[in-house]
Amino acid sequence: MRKVIKVDSPKEFIQEMGKMQTALPKNIDIKPRDADKGLAKLVLTLIDLLRKLMEKQAIKRIEGRLLTEEEIENVGQALMKLETKMQELKEIFGLKDEDLKLNLGPLGDLM
Amino acid sequence: MLPIYAYGIIDFNGRIEKAIQGIEKSCVYNMPYHDIGVVVSDIQTGMRPAESYHVLEHEDVVEKLMDDFTVLPMRFRTVFNNKDNLMEMLTTYHSDFRQNLARLCNKAEFGIKVFWRGDIIRKRITDVYNKSHQVDYTSSGSSGKNFLIEKFRMHEIEKEFEKKANQYSEIIDNYFTPIAVEKKLKKLQTENLLLNASYLFDKDKQNIFVAAFEQLKKEHSGLKYLFSGPWPPYNFIHLGVGKEAHEKSN
Repeated sequence: MRKVIKVDSPKEFIQEMGKMQTALPKNIDIKPRDADKGLAKLVLTLIDLLRKLMEKQAIKRIEGRLLTEEEIENVGQALMKLETKMQELKEIFGLKDEDLKLNLGPLGDLM
Repeated sequence: MLPIYAYGIIDFNGRIEKAIQGIEKSCVYNMPYHDIGVVVSDIQTGMRPAESYHVLEHEDVVEKLMDDFTVLPMRFRTVFNNKDNLMEMLTTYHSDFRQNLARLCNKAEFGIKVFWRGDIIRKRITDVYNKSHQVDYTSSGSSGKNFLIEKFRMHEIEKEFEKKANQYSEIIDNYFTPIAVEKKLKKLQTENLLLNASYLFDKDKQNIFVAAFEQLKKEHSGLKYLFSGPWPPYNFIHLGVGKEAHEKSN
């Protein structure tokens, strides 16, 4: 069978595929001296997942008009503090937002 | 005993007549198991192919096999320490391999990646949203509420962005679905990679498939495409059912 390869902009595609590789890391880089960071990364990823789930729940409830003004303020305050705390912890451990993505292989990213 | 590098499973248990060179010019041969075979070559102990030219060597072997057999391509860098390990794998998955070989007979896959300016589209959506939902953050005065309003705004923009991506993906998919036997679609793997799709098709429909792509390209010239194939059906091998049956019977 004759091979067909047609590409509009090879450079742009290579660049974009490169980003995809970064988004879906194939290997976990574990070095003994970075063990603390690795553990922090795992714990913070899970906390961040819970934070995002709570945020989504809050947004769904706002969409469904299920929250009073006071409840919106209270939930908003709580989530804001949590986000600020997460930022602080990320800085302490030298982690970026993309470090906290939980990749489930063929299933893709968790969030 | 040297480690064994595996290229793929074929629906043939005899000797391959064609002389095929494998990784690092190694000699490729078929190792029969009942009615099927696994195509392999011996490699040096400790060698783990990792260079880009090794990928091409692997692909070259698989494509040469495709000319004469139905092939279940193995993932690049599939190495068995010895023949016993390889045979164990064949025993476990034999039934799966047979089912897949039957299903994928005379079939191959095409890949299409579609690139859009996701950044520009998101900006447009954001502008439209901001115009129609002007919020005076300062007047409400409460930081908790403002925080959630901002999150809600981002959520709405994201929802609209995904809706747009789904609409475009569906349009593209409609060109190929009537011709394809099976498909795998991944949307928005990055902001600009709108669609990364693989289609399984009957080999005799290759020309129709290419024509469908040409039509898509002509009718939707604002998008950018990477269209390639036919490839071995890397994305359409389903393992597991036969393995479970094998484990239960033991």
